[in-house]
Amino acid sequence: MTTESVMTEPQRTRVAPTVLAGIGAFVVVGVYVLISSIDLGLWTSSGPGPGMFPFAMGGLLVAMSAIWLVQELRQPTETASGVDRGLVIAVVVSLALLAAVMDLIGFQLSMFIFLMYHLKIRGRRGWVSSLIIALAGSVGAFYAFNYGLNVALPTAGITVLNSIGL
Amino acid sequence: MDTLNELANGFASALTWQNLIFAFLGCLLGTIIGVLPGIGPVAGVALLIPLTMNLDATGAIIMLCAIFYGTAYGGTITSVLLNTPGEAASAITTIDGYAMTKIGKAGAALTIAAVGSFVGGTIATLGLVAAAKPLGELGLLVGPPEFFALMVVGISLLVALAGKSMVKALISGALGLLISMVGIDPVAGAPRFTFGSDNLLDGVSFVAVIVGVFGLSEILSYRKDSKAAAVHAPGLRSLLPTGTEWRRSAPSMARGTGIGFGLGLIPGMTGSVSSLLAYGAEKKFSKHRNELGKGAIEGVAGPETANNAHANAALIPLFTLGIPASPTIAVLMGAFLQQGLTPGPTLFTEHSEIAWAIIASLFIGNLLLLLLNVPLVGLWTSILRVPASILTALILLFMVIGAYTINFNVFDVFVMIGFGLLGLALRHLDIPLAPMVLTLVLGPLMERSLRESLEISQGDFGIFVNRPISMVLIGVGVLIILSPLLKLRKPKALNEDPET
Repeated sequence: MTTESVMTEPQRTRVAPTVLAGIGAFVVVGVYVLISSIDLGLWTSSGPGPGMFPFAMGGLLVAMSAIWLVQELRQPTETASGVDRGLVIAVVVSLALLAAVMDLIGFQLSMFIFLMYHLKIRGRRGWVSSLIIALAGSVGAFYAFNYGLNVALPTAGITVLNSIGL
Repeated sequence: MDTLNELANGFASALTWQNLIFAFLGCLLGTIIGVLPGIGPVAGVALLIPLTMNLDATGAIIMLCAIFYGTAYGGTITSVLLNTPGEAASAITTIDGYAMTKIGKAGAALTIAAVGSFVGGTIATLGLVAAAKPLGELGLLVGPPEFFALMVVGISLLVALAGKSMVKALISGALGLLISMVGIDPVAGAPRFTFGSDNLLDGVSFVAVIVGVFGLSEILSYRKDSKAAAVHAPGLRSLLPTGTEWRRSAPSMARGTGIGFGLGLIPGMTGSVSSLLAYGAEKKFSKHRNELGKGAIEGVAGPETANNAHANAALIPLFTLGIPASPTIAVLMGAFLQQGLTPGPTLFTEHSEIAWAIIASLFIGNLLLLLLNVPLVGLWTSILRVPASILTALILLFMVIGAYTINFNVFDVFVMIGFGLLGLALRHLDIPLAPMVLTLVLGPLMERSLRESLEISQGDFGIFVNRPISMVLIGVGVLIILSPLLKLRKPKALNEDPET
């Protein structure tokens, strides 16, 4: 149990910083949409233009964010309990790296490394089970999808790797 | 008679061995998704859409529908055996289901739940058969203004019922609509919000968004202190309930069917609400209500029947009017659209054979689930013994494959990661995710019908109030949105609905 969940405040007196950041982000997106929609054209000779619907949605987003801010200032709400930052960073960075190199070194090798990281390093599983699952999830999945389901997963863009079947 | 003939043809198509295999695979995968607590039906169905991309439309939709209602069955298993609901809609079943497990009656609870689910699902599907023609014909009479108004009502209901704050639900809905507008504008052909990227000209991949928002964000929000439930092999003394248990369950199943069927038709109502209300009905009307909470069979039969009747009844507005009633149905609708099928009244005129084959497969799927569910209970629980680290790695693997194979482009994997982070932020801010999915799918259809309407009226918004049907519908939508100002209270059960 984390300290956050142990220390329960009866009532917040100030708006949580993450809530303020969220409201700010929605306002920024809404204003951006409002401005871009005007450039797209709200109305044409034949009726509504491509910008009209987004304009309405941008307006709604800004208006609702403003109401939410007023509600928060009157009575601040609790946000959901914090996240495990280590987990978020590990999963997001590993996924981004996987996506970045998948076309270059192929699905099989990149997915094998990805799965080994999550099984052996993060999950602290044994070598044998990690290797078996990583191989099944990378090489096994590649063949199952390519030949079983006729769904092509990427092969390596690097010629040397491609020539050995990766 | 016409309907029966078409249904018979539907059965002929659904009973081909390929389609039977698709239904079987769908039931199997759906049950697994239902059993796994980490992944819900929305992300589960979205994740498996790519698997069906190369199938013919009938097979693909049969499989996805089977996955959809399979999750409703699967969620029960962990509720009864482990006191951990696999799906939110099965949460209430834990009370009496787990109590029955503790007194060695797990087998009877699971059998009754499976039979109840079968009864509820089958009766709801019969309702779909009966409603398909008349509602479809009515649907054909509506023009773009009425269609727009209908979608306004659907979205308003979901916005009003989702979560605790309507302001937050509207933010979620507006975000979904904005995401759906990325890409080439369908009328004028101008690129919108593409930031100069060719990858965005066709819009943001709906599967990547759903998998990110519902699936990845769920994994990202795991907590170190959230312990996995200890799994014990169930002591299934006997799978067959006693005669008394059957007799006591029958009225509960009837009540559950009525509640689930009725609520399934209303957009914004989720299976959780149906099962909660069905449990409430048992508390009020059951002859053995004082035994509820201590392992009464009624506490399993009622909610589980309601849950599946709801899941199948929710397909009625989708098939006949093209309106998805819940987030999972919205994902299913996305799959229809990707297969080139537009759910709604035109489905029965343009793709009648496919529509009836899918309806026939619902009967078959419900039967398959009944046969699969109870005898294989050992297999389902063994899935739960797989360590969390392995399950997470495998779910991530499927997410990457699912996002990639939609357009065979790693760009969609990045989209999934981005929306995973957005989903995490929305969860943290307590913003409901359900309205976003619905507007994401309905956005393009809604915009098209709005613009078509205004072109018909040459820009006069009066078209929405001059036509009686759209006037009534718009009025209902406005009333729903204004309900907090009018001090209209929603039922308490909806505030505690974990699905939204």
